[in-house]
Amino acid sequence: MISTSTAEELRSIVGKEWFLDTPEDLATYSYDGFLPEFLPDGVIVPGSTQEISGIMKVVNREKIPVIPRGAGTNICGGSVAKEGGIILAFHRMNQILEIDAENMCAVVQPGVVNAVLQKKAAGYHLLYPPDPASMFVSTMGGNVALNAGGPRGVKYGVTRDYLLGLEVVLPSGEIIRTGGKALKSVTGYDLTRLLCGSEGTLGIITEITVKLVPLPPAKTTLQAVFSDLNDAARTVSAIIGSGIVPTTLELIDRVVLDVIRNYGDARFPKDAEALLLIEVDGEATSVEKQGEIIEQFCKKRGAIEVERANTPEEAEKLWQARRTAFGAVASVRPNCIVEDATVPVKKLPEMIRKIVSLAEKYRLRIGVLAHAGDGNLHPLIMTDLRDRDEGERIDKAMDELFEATIAMGGTLSGEHGIGIAKKRWLSMEFNQAAIEIMRGIKKVFDPNNILNPGSFL
Amino acid sequence: MIAETIANEFNQCNKCGLCVVACPVCQELFLEKYSPRGKIQLAKFYEQGALELSDHYRDIFSKCLLCGACSVTCPSGVDLSKVFLGMREEIADARGFQSTTKQLVKSLHEHFNISGEANADRGEWLDDLEDAPDDLIGKDRADVVYFVGCVASFFPMVQAIPRNIVRILSHAGVDFTILGGEEWCCGFPLLGAGASGKMAALMEHNLERLNALKAHTVIFSCPSCYRTWKELYHTELEMFHSTQFIGKLIREGSLPLGKIETTVTYHDPCDLGRKGGVFDEPRELLRSIPGLVFRELENNRAKSVCCGGGGNLEMADPDLSARVARNKIEEIQRTGATTVVTSCQQCIRTIKSRARRQKVDLDVLDVTDLIVRAMEAGQ
Repeated sequence: MISTSTAEELRSIVGKEWFLDTPEDLATYSYDGFLPEFLPDGVIVPGSTQEISGIMKVVNREKIPVIPRGAGTNICGGSVAKEGGIILAFHRMNQILEIDAENMCAVVQPGVVNAVLQKKAAGYHLLYPPDPASMFVSTMGGNVALNAGGPRGVKYGVTRDYLLGLEVVLPSGEIIRTGGKALKSVTGYDLTRLLCGSEGTLGIITEITVKLVPLPPAKTTLQAVFSDLNDAARTVSAIIGSGIVPTTLELIDRVVLDVIRNYGDARFPKDAEALLLIEVDGEATSVEKQGEIIEQFCKKRGAIEVERANTPEEAEKLWQARRTAFGAVASVRPNCIVEDATVPVKKLPEMIRKIVSLAEKYRLRIGVLAHAGDGNLHPLIMTDLRDRDEGERIDKAMDELFEATIAMGGTLSGEHGIGIAKKRWLSMEFNQAAIEIMRGIKKVFDPNNILNPGSFL
Repeated sequence: MIAETIANEFNQCNKCGLCVVACPVCQELFLEKYSPRGKIQLAKFYEQGALELSDHYRDIFSKCLLCGACSVTCPSGVDLSKVFLGMREEIADARGFQSTTKQLVKSLHEHFNISGEANADRGEWLDDLEDAPDDLIGKDRADVVYFVGCVASFFPMVQAIPRNIVRILSHAGVDFTILGGEEWCCGFPLLGAGASGKMAALMEHNLERLNALKAHTVIFSCPSCYRTWKELYHTELEMFHSTQFIGKLIREGSLPLGKIETTVTYHDPCDLGRKGGVFDEPRELLRSIPGLVFRELENNRAKSVCCGGGGNLEMADPDLSARVARNKIEEIQRTGATTVVTSCQQCIRTIKSRARRQKVDLDVLDVTDLIVRAMEAGQ
């Protein structure tokens, strides 16, 4: 609970219309893209770093939890008030402060939507590569806090790989800067990368400097359908092993293909067991050649259908299946749990087989979408949260899934974050000593544990 | 009962937030409660008994254009418009109408139109039409009826639309009639007002008039009338939006068109396009005019952004409606065209009023304005 006098103090910092505590406001900041909901005690919408500094001084003194929130699209429970407190929403800090074309970087406020930056950068023939599926909604602050990835990750990596510098407000209200526009920096500990993926538990990110790359002039898109999942997996290995680095290498399994088939007008051969969506970008001549090579790879390894797009419209058509996949799956049952286990690329087929066997064992309907090029799987568990029995079976399946993931040298989360979604498995991936180091770091930044408490640690 | 139908919808919402980007209101109001996703959450809290329908609820649910952009964007197929209409009904039942809505309901009850003027004056716009057929109103029998709609009948800014349609139909030799004072509001504004229960009398009257004429075809220039009839009137009558009917006349060769050398863009009205499924016909009309250069808006067809005139928002929050219209005008200007064409009188009013206020050099036309010009050029 927030006392009347504290609420007044917060209102005096941001202006009275930007501190909200009506039941209607609290209800609409009680969720993110993950499932459990928690009512916060208040919502604050600051307009500047200075205001955030003022807010932090008050909440730190009063020991009120603060949960930074961009667009609330994360699917790990990263931006909900798990232990009550105040949601700090970045709606008003949504300006692109600078596109520095000469230094190939951009400086943005945390509330800038990823796709808005992409569009602006494209105007300078530059690209901000990380492209999470939520990019049209999710904010740069959230992307940094969760180290967001995306389909382009195979070639371009993830948010971390483009992060140059940050401005951060600590719980004490002090403001620190890490990194900057210099492309190289080995000064001190790499605080920038420490904060990236810290899920709002170490500080409030208030300004972000990211690296941009030249916008590739050409790309080509292919879709290959296989009647045997193993053929698709062998094709993935062949492409990766050939020296061609695709921008995107997505796999859709039979369960998801069947759902898409019933959902829209996409047509796949009846015996389709896997679909690969492959994209390469770069100079037109090399892209053309790589497209031909990949087409041959697919055909030689048993693809029953290969399509290559020659125009952006045709490419968009090929993307249609992948883009509708999640929605199609989500509409089957009331809830859809999107998992994120990630394994070394070579283990991908083994992992998919494991998921299929778990679905059978626990009588669950699980489809698989995978960023196959980097081993990042998205098992989609179709369920109804009101079904307790099914919930218990899902829990058991997840335990086994993560055991297998870790045994294969993988990780609990490739790009979604831990939050509350995968908290209970953390000790599978880290031993006690490693977890204690993380707890120690947390204490240095946030001795009163007011930043997003209840998260993974 | 309503709560149950909406519960089926919001159980499918997974809070992905794609609706937030699609929503024109969210471009102006950042807070989550105004987002489609937030409104779904509030509907859920109400249905579960966690929150009561407050005035705050009413204010939140009134800040919506009912444009349907969220519904078509939702990957889980949630019919958000259905939830929002249902919530307006619940709120009106629980807390009564807001004063502007009360006036609207009163006007429809007493005058059978939204303007509050005597319904006998519905045909006033005909006075400015010199070559109008004498027996347009008051025929005993007619195969084809043109249903004019309240806005085009009473608001001078858009009375050119019915005049255009009379000219076009007469020119093509179509034998038709209009109902004059016997045309009553189709009932559409009551849906947005949360008062769908009061529609029946209006609908029954209109159907009865058409049956008496033994009509088999109705033409609408108003996309909202067209949709309301199509979806709620449950009649065997053949229904056309004016763009569809005129397209038919052109294809049949009944309407030779001359050259107009200008560049235009086209705004898809929500009720005609996204909700009515009529995207191609207005474009065909534009392409059938020789010399005309047509440029699409950035967001076109099902992705068209509402002009700001939907959902009775203009009554509830005129400032917000104007801000949405301003964004629409900026999108139009980005095409480089100085003429925007649309096929809805309400869109014309909203865009034109805003452009005038902002002193923007923009011609806002109905498709029929261009057809009449091309018809004259073709003579």
